[in-house]
Amino acid sequence: MSLYAFLGTLEIGLIYGLVAIGVYLTFRILDFPDLTVDGSFTLGAAVAATLIVTGQNPYLATLLGTLAASCAGLVTAWLNLRFNILHLLASILTMTALYTINLRVMGKPNVALIMEPTVLSPFEGLGLPDMYMKVIFVAVCAIVGGLLVAWFLRTQYGLAMRSVGSNKRMAQANGIVVTEKVYVGLALSNGLVGLAGALFAQTNGFADSTMGIGTIVVGLAAVIIGESLLASRSMLVIVMSCIVGSVLYRFAVSMALNADFLGFQASDLNLITAVLVALALVFPKLRNEWKAKRAIKEQI
Amino acid sequence: MIRCENLHVTFNRGLPTEKLALQGIDLTIPSGEFVTVIGSNGAGKSTLLNTIAGDIKSTQGKIYFDDRDVTKLPATRRTKDIARVFQDPLAGTCGNLTVEENMSLAYGRGKRGTLASALNNKLRKVFKEQLSRLNLGLEDRLDSEMGLLSGGQRQSVSLLMSALQPSSILLLDEHTAALDPKTAALILDISSQIIKEKQLTVMMVTHSMRQALDHGSRTIMLHEGKIIFDLASKERANYQVKDLLNLFAQARTDGAELDDDKLLLGG
Ligand SMILES: Nc1ncnc2c1ncn2[C@@H]1O[C@H](COP(=O)(O)OP(=O)(O)OP(=O)(O)O)[C@@H](O)[C@H]1O
Ligand SMILES: [Mg+2]
Repeated sequence: MSLYAFLGTLEIGLIYGLVAIGVYLTFRILDFPDLTVDGSFTLGAAVAATLIVTGQNPYLATLLGTLAASCAGLVTAWLNLRFNILHLLASILTMTALYTINLRVMGKPNVALIMEPTVLSPFEGLGLPDMYMKVIFVAVCAIVGGLLVAWFLRTQYGLAMRSVGSNKRMAQANGIVVTEKVYVGLALSNGLVGLAGALFAQTNGFADSTMGIGTIVVGLAAVIIGESLLASRSMLVIVMSCIVGSVLYRFAVSMALNADFLGFQASDLNLITAVLVALALVFPKLRNEWKAKRAIKEQI
Repeated sequence: MIRCENLHVTFNRGLPTEKLALQGIDLTIPSGEFVTVIGSNGAGKSTLLNTIAGDIKSTQGKIYFDDRDVTKLPATRRTKDIARVFQDPLAGTCGNLTVEENMSLAYGRGKRGTLASALNNKLRKVFKEQLSRLNLGLEDRLDSEMGLLSGGQRQSVSLLMSALQPSSILLLDEHTAALDPKTAALILDISSQIIKEKQLTVMMVTHSMRQALDHGSRTIMLHEGKIIFDLASKERANYQVKDLLNLFAQARTDGAELDDDKLLLGG
């Protein structure tokens, strides 16, 4: 792997680390499987890119992209909480609607940002080659994001949110308003995903209406890889393992794609991802079954 | 004080499975009184407690705490007044949070969670002190996951948690039913201590006639959603377990007769 390819892989892994943290918040903390992220990743990118092209400040554009994605999360939460639509279905509805909305926001299938100023512009020409500077920038974003989320989950408010995903009845009996925590959690999660989308658009120079497809699976893969490598109770370790999982996932995929003897093409990415996630999901179960079987044999 | 006025609860209203779970409960429990609640399965005991706590909306009637009408308040806004321990040891705690995290949640019961840290050493000290009352060695397991504790240990912690925040009312729904006799006795003991210490208004549901007579100062019996018997302290002193059992049998046969009548009329 060339240095250039290495840094590129690392950069994308770090950006998707934010996605993984978002997915962790919904799937693990709130126990609310949320597929909105496929749409909100693109929404963050689309809003940011469109605003930048129209001459807005890139930082403001990124913030607004993030907020727009948060709103998408609120819509999913609302469909689920207000109308009792199953969470998965509610999120699929929002995601589907977002596909159209994203096209409308951009006014065309994709927006190029090659010549535009981005959040990276202030750091260009400071002496550091661009490819290093980009990696450092996204690393700082991912780590600061991770630290903030880990801090949040350890506050009284964050703990209350965790209890909602763990035992709603207990949460309620302790005066915790379940619906409020779900709204806040989904807004936070999708905001992180939208931020990742906005950063992705600016580091890669485009926003595209199809860029979000499969975001959820990638995020889930990162969460699962992180969990299986770093089993811990510490919120900080858990959240950071999402980022580590995301980076490792990117390297695993790029190796699979580059290994000539496997004969994969770039278009096989989705299959590889699905197989990786399935393996990561199945493996702990199989391991337990093997252990149980062995224990029984030993008893006999 | 808890006051229920003509409280009705109907499940599945208008459906073939319609169930009149509470049918006109009138009940006043003065502050500091400890009432035990008995009745056969399906009598409506849990429904009554859940309605008072706000988990179930009443279809008719009113509920007052002291002189405040709380009939329309959601469960979460009654938690300032009410602490609860459930029958299922798994229901009162979060299995994948640690002991101290669970206790921290209970410590914040009825208050708005802020962005302050959920745990600190001062709190841990309070939690340790409380846990050491149990003599179960849990004070050294603050950072164990709740799911790793046994049912009895979890229930003990639930009980302590209910007392971490001041409340005026404590609702216990068969909170010792899932425990072995020794642990059940311990839990009952600690319940009594806490109730005395904090001078709580208590409703305790139990299927044990012995417990019903030995605890508190008043016993009510529910049957088919109605209070069919209300024994105040003076009368109750003369009651034995077998008297209660007789009352039970009577309630059953009365019910059976009614059913027979229904059959005749319907036929
Ligand atoms: N959510 C519900 N939907 C429909 N019916 C219900 C519901 N909850 C309770 N019931 C019915 O209401 C009646 C009273 O139930 P409740 O749980 O209050 O009884 P209980 O006195 O607590 O009995 P047990 O001693 O078995 O705990 C029962 O017939 C029950 O089937
Ligand atoms: Mg019951």
